[in-house]
Amino acid sequence: MPTDLSQAADARTFRPSPHAKRGGLRAGQGRFGVMLLLPALIAFSLIVLSPFVQALGLSLYKYTISTPEPIFVGLANFKKLLADPTVRGSFVTTAVYVFFTTFFSITLGLAWAIILNEPFKGRNALRGISLLPWIMPATVSAFIFGWIFNSRYGVLNAVAMEFGFIEHPQAWLSTTSGAMTAIVMVKVWLSIPLFMSFFLAGLASMDREQIEAARVDGAGNYNVLKDHILPHLRPVILVVVVLGMIGNLQQFDSIYALTGGGPVRATSVLSVEVYRRAFEQWDIGMAATIGVLWVATILPPAYFYLRQLMKGAE
Amino acid sequence: MMLDLSTTKAKLVFFAVAAAIGFFLFFPVYWTVISALKSDNELYQIVPTAYPHAPTLDHFKTALTEGQLPKLLGNSLFVSLSSAAFNATLATYAGYSFAKYRYFGRKPVMMFMLSAQMFPFGLLLITIYPMYVEWGLLDTRLGLILSYIVFALPVATYMIYSYFSQVPNELIEAARADGASDLRIFHTIVLPISIPPIVTVFLYSFMWSWNDLLYSLTLIVSDDKRTVAPGLLLTYLNETNADWGGAMAASLMAATPVILGFMFLQRFFIQGVTAGAVK
Repeated sequence: MPTDLSQAADARTFRPSPHAKRGGLRAGQGRFGVMLLLPALIAFSLIVLSPFVQALGLSLYKYTISTPEPIFVGLANFKKLLADPTVRGSFVTTAVYVFFTTFFSITLGLAWAIILNEPFKGRNALRGISLLPWIMPATVSAFIFGWIFNSRYGVLNAVAMEFGFIEHPQAWLSTTSGAMTAIVMVKVWLSIPLFMSFFLAGLASMDREQIEAARVDGAGNYNVLKDHILPHLRPVILVVVVLGMIGNLQQFDSIYALTGGGPVRATSVLSVEVYRRAFEQWDIGMAATIGVLWVATILPPAYFYLRQLMKGAE
Repeated sequence: MMLDLSTTKAKLVFFAVAAAIGFFLFFPVYWTVISALKSDNELYQIVPTAYPHAPTLDHFKTALTEGQLPKLLGNSLFVSLSSAAFNATLATYAGYSFAKYRYFGRKPVMMFMLSAQMFPFGLLLITIYPMYVEWGLLDTRLGLILSYIVFALPVATYMIYSYFSQVPNELIEAARADGASDLRIFHTIVLPISIPPIVTVFLYSFMWSWNDLLYSLTLIVSDDKRTVAPGLLLTYLNETNADWGGAMAASLMAATPVILGFMFLQRFFIQGVTAGAVK
């Protein structure tokens, strides 16, 4: 065995640089590579892949609390679902939820990034604490907004009454639009920090001279934003839209903790609907069927995102 | 730097937008903190006070002494640390393999593992549950720890992968020329310089496990193994009782570990998470 690993000493001070040669080692040893991968691959296959495939399969079975063994029914579940207005309702609810959460978190995240990109005292500290909502457990965020929206003692009621918008305290979370507004607000609140980080990273690579040149030509803030900053951020915006859509389609915790999918089904997005069918009604087959349709909605943005990620990979 | 804030109008718009977003981001945090510090008398008023007039730590004390909170926090800490260590280890080896070795099926496998981030977590749970019943993993900490692979492993592997692709091959090839085995090279040369990304991935996995409600609510049944997110939900907001002061105090304590971890590692973390998406 070699004892002279003196070159390793240099390695300790190594910082990855974008100019370093990337990619795989020239000489093979592919078998060793496979061995390194194996533990992750086994764990992945057992806990992720096999449940996924099985779940897809379950959509073809009738499997409820009254059928101890799954019964193959072919596409009957799908037929039943398409005729079921509550499921159609769930898709509409999800579409509304995903549209508003994605739209507002990106708009506000972008605005906040542009603001925090300007030099001012305390900017770095502000950037740091801006991440707070993101790292909060979603359950905690749901608590926070549940308290703000509280029907008797919530600060929202107090402020709205003070300004004369309402006369009596409102039970916001008991109305369809109030509950939807609340779950959208929580998710937007949770998402702004992450999106802000993406946009700040994108803004950092902006060419300042280009903006200064535009200024000399008489461009105002609006033109700089429209003609220079937004076009530069286009690829980032695309990624963030896709990432946001995937995340919002997946969101469960904050919704379930805040409204439980209610009132009635008003906030029963697909994630909540699947959970309720499976673990409250124990109708596993139907839950899986809804899940399959849910996968179908995630696939297009997922495909786009993966392509983007793999672009850099060899 | 990119905006021209020399005119009054520009300044006004800038500060108005900044104040509005800032208010939306920080007011809920402020409100949580002051609500936790108010006594029940002060808390349950139709017109709330803007700051606690008689701040008290009672809610914190009650949450820590009378409730399940210490137990919940302990359980969460154990589960999250274990799952973070497990995920970080698997991701480190897998990421290195993807970045530095070439073998048949590498790219499709990698693509597939990454795509798992988009499998609906709730759908997987439907089959993980009966599978765990069969394997005797339901209502065990081990089962919960393993299940967090679903959340963390794909992205963690990608984060590590994008770091290792930047490590120059010369470093490894030089050591190979000295006769070191690939395993030894990885452990004595590559790992020591890769602590920051590994810690980042550890924290990423920790955060997912710590914050999770869906899996912990379903896969853990007994109270003594319950973790913090479902614990909070079941303790503070149930049909019969809503203790908002306690909920706020417990929420703050539940958020503390992730906030602390984050304070130290923020910079690495942001780089890691945005890697690959922002070029």
